[in-house]
Amino acid sequence: MKHFITTISTLAILAFTVPAFAHFQMIYTPESALNKGGKIPLAIVFTHPFEAGHTMDMGTPEQFFVMRSRGENTPKKTDLLPTLKPIKWTSLTNAGAAYETQYSARGGDHIFCLVPAPYYEGEEDAYIQQSTKMIVNAGGEPGAWMEPVGLDCEIVPLCKPYDRWTGNVFQGKVLFKGKPVAGAEIEIEFLNHKPLLDQKAFAKDAFATAPQAAFVLQTIFADDNGVFTFGIPKAGWWGFAALGIDPEGSFKGKECSKDAVIWIQAKDMK
Amino acid sequence: MKLRLSVLTFAAMVLGLLMIPAVQAHTPLCSCYDNGDGSVTCEGGFSDGSSAAGVQMRVEDGSGKVLIQGKMDDDSEFTFDKPAGDYKVQFDAGDGHQITVEGKEITE
Repeated sequence: MKHFITTISTLAILAFTVPAFAHFQMIYTPESALNKGGKIPLAIVFTHPFEAGHTMDMGTPEQFFVMRSRGENTPKKTDLLPTLKPIKWTSLTNAGAAYETQYSARGGDHIFCLVPAPYYEGEEDAYIQQSTKMIVNAGGEPGAWMEPVGLDCEIVPLCKPYDRWTGNVFQGKVLFKGKPVAGAEIEIEFLNHKPLLDQKAFAKDAFATAPQAAFVLQTIFADDNGVFTFGIPKAGWWGFAALGIDPEGSFKGKECSKDAVIWIQAKDMK
Repeated sequence: MKLRLSVLTFAAMVLGLLMIPAVQAHTPLCSCYDNGDGSVTCEGGFSDGSSAAGVQMRVEDGSGKVLIQGKMDDDSEFTFDKPAGDYKVQFDAGDGHQITVEGKEITE
């Protein structure tokens, strides 16, 4: 009987442990700071980036657009939803429905914004929807990277997300319907396996090894103004997800965790 | 005399400090793109995000002869018909703020 209880407890712990590895909506391109404009590839994958683990099937996104701005020019919004092509993205453990597209970038900031279809997470009998931003700059001339684009759930960067050296801090502000979210919980993951766009798959080799499970998914909290700060320990792409920032988030009568995600890319000084 | 020299040195340093950041924080930028319809668009600006509206633009042929002359518009853009032969584009925002873009480097 004692053995049985132990087994049950172990199973229960395992069941609760698994969701701790966070889902991250990715908008990926190899280079966030382009010297010159041109065509860039974009891959949209809903996955577990540190471990290149289970990749979820994405439904048709609700929104996918870019806000382009250069210098003092007024930002221009372009709908990119019609350009998305469905693909299968292969992780180290499975393959999931994802999207890809190409984009012609000229100078300035390009804020890519995705509102995916809510994803049903069977284990939790709830939905998850991560509004995601990724910012590319061409030519070094800044635009309105620091301005909210107007998503319900949004992280606004307080540092240029494409100019961080390794060891710099990154600061962002979590907004729900334009208002700061005090004490928002932020999960952070490193994109630890290189996305191979030609193979639509993650590379098997990892950049880093986590000494213990807590390091796979780091957790921090925003302050009373919704501002969070993170020191960047390694070059590459880092994802930040502010979780469940809509207290009444629901979809089809079930709970829906409405999250805000942003990606940044850091470079080594050399 | 020695004192005067150090005053001069100090003045030169102050002047240097005043001048250097102005240049570094305000690098001129200009990129040109072939629009694929026989025209070329140049986008100008500065690394601090300030506008290049009104900056003088010149399109010259291989020998330096001016083919087209104009200004950056309100959106800091300058569009012109692509010349037939070799050409280069000059972005001229005054001393230390000039950029030359070679025609053969201008692609879509």
